Amino acid sequence: MFKTTLERQLNILDYALSSVWRRRLKNLSVMLVFAAAIFLLASFQMTTTALNQAASSMLAKAPEITVQRISAGRQASIPLAYGEKLKAIFGIRRIVPRIWGYHFVEPNRANYTVIGLDPAAMPSGKALGLTLAKGRFFTAGQKGKAVVGQGVVKTMNLADRRNFSLFRPDLTLKPFGISGVFAPGTNLLTDDLIVTTMADARDLFRIPAGMVTDFCVYVANPAEIQTIAGKIAKRLPDTRVLTRPQIQKTYQVVFGWRSGFGSVCLLTALAAFTIFAWDKASGLSPEERREISILKILGWETADVLTVRFWEGLLVSALAFAVGCTLAWIHVVKFGAALFRPVMMGWSVISTSLHLVPDLALADFLLIFAFTVLPYLAATIIPAWRAATVPADSAIR
Amino acid sequence: MLIELQDVTKIYNQGQANEVKALDRINLTIPSGSLMCLRGASGSGKSTLLAVIGCVFPPTSGRATIAGKLLSRLPDRFLTMHRRQFIGFIFQQFNILPELNVLDNVTLPLLPVGISPRERRKRGLRLLEQFAIAHRRNFAANQISGGELQRVAIARALINDPPIILADEPTAHLDTRLSEEFMKIISGLKEVGKTIVITSHDPLVTENSAVERIVDIRDGRLHA
Repeated sequence: MFKTTLERQLNILDYALSSVWRRRLKNLSVMLVFAAAIFLLASFQMTTTALNQAASSMLAKAPEITVQRISAGRQASIPLAYGEKLKAIFGIRRIVPRIWGYHFVEPNRANYTVIGLDPAAMPSGKALGLTLAKGRFFTAGQKGKAVVGQGVVKTMNLADRRNFSLFRPDLTLKPFGISGVFAPGTNLLTDDLIVTTMADARDLFRIPAGMVTDFCVYVANPAEIQTIAGKIAKRLPDTRVLTRPQIQKTYQVVFGWRSGFGSVCLLTALAAFTIFAWDKASGLSPEERREISILKILGWETADVLTVRFWEGLLVSALAFAVGCTLAWIHVVKFGAALFRPVMMGWSVISTSLHLVPDLALADFLLIFAFTVLPYLAATIIPAWRAATVPADSAIR
Repeated sequence: MLIELQDVTKIYNQGQANEVKALDRINLTIPSGSLMCLRGASGSGKSTLLAVIGCVFPPTSGRATIAGKLLSRLPDRFLTMHRRQFIGFIFQQFNILPELNVLDNVTLPLLPVGISPRERRKRGLRLLEQFAIAHRRNFAANQISGGELQRVAIARALINDPPIILADEPTAHLDTRLSEEFMKIISGLKEVGKTIVITSHDPLVTENSAVERIVDIRDGRLHA
């Protein structure tokens, strides 16, 4: 009994495969349109996943707490003496003062982020060298040295030059020598970045001695981040205290919102495709109607015809799914999600060039499968049921 | 009796504006191993009668007992299974799927039965050899002649070895030679004990010596 049932199903599957081949032109056209829809959706999903992963891995090296002074609702310079007040808080491992700001360069129409820090003073200072594609980090004593991101190299044409200059507020030029360039893998955070010494950053922005823009606070126990942040906020009421989990969450919200917006647009396209598939499946050609009526009069049950249609739909949609997902992966990994970069990373004048490698998570594929293959099967199986109820006697009328 | 109809009536679209009474109180018995011809003009109801005998649908009223089963009590699924087991159809235009090859067309009724590919092929080739078209087994159905197509249709009707063969205007599109050839094959099937019902008004069929009985049908009623 079991053998007969299995043989029957295999026979029907065999017939469905030959049927897909016989109508290859029609099926190929449906498959290509469907694969394109899946490609767009999967690309978006993979880009979001890859961006979140890139942000998480980069932020893992960021300070656990950042302290900024707020004046009239805006960020203002913070006295170095504030750092002394923080030292008394139990659980703080290290406090690193930092100077940073944005520097707009008119000819390039680019806004660079300039950060002044002392790598030796940072707990992960040695690891910073690992983020460089070439050169090395400067030391606190060196003057006029900077480490720059890939986007800075590109927009300032620094590939063949070792020096560049930026204007101070009084329009005098501040020269820099390039000591290192960040690796492309860190582009999400470093693409528009110029990192220099505290003294050079202070000089560039003309920040008075004894003042910095913020403090990086490193804690001994990461589980205590929130508690220590609360203590800092209480001790320095005129400051804004940002924790690393907060920043991570902000990134996720930004990417999530953008991805969600994009996904809604793409799902609309997918819905349009589903309607197209419905129309295609329900509009049986006279040849198909004739075939069904012949099969039925030869002893095929409605369920058999329906099974053939199900296998045909599954085959076409599974193929489209495989092609769409593969193309999406190539698009994201090899071409850096070129189609969606303006949507996903659109806040900087410098277009971030990222090397995205999303982890192939089963959950992502199941999500894409649920939003693509299942609606397609539903959209084809119902008209197929209607088609399968073609009266058998139409073959002898 | 293999086929027994008592007061069989078939009404299409019952209760609607386009209601059509296709069969009107038909009484007919067909014994096993006989060859009967249903003769009538187009629209007389002979295809509907053939469909009832062929277990395609049950009658609207009356009793139709085919190969020991009372059709009016069988749901659609069981009608199909009964048809698969007991009925072989030969259609007016053969209804061969043109994209499939000859062997696949012949073995088509075996697929939902759960017969293995090897057994299907064996049975199909045996019939194709019997009708001298085994050499065309891999040809697409749209690449063979009308006579060969006719033999493919007969082979397909016999693949399940059914006791009843129903042929609907089988010679309507055939020339004299092919019609005679068809009747020769049908006579042979009668010899081996098949019960055969043919709808036709072709003299080559109705006047064939193998035909034992001719029943005229007009406006859904039989005229013996």
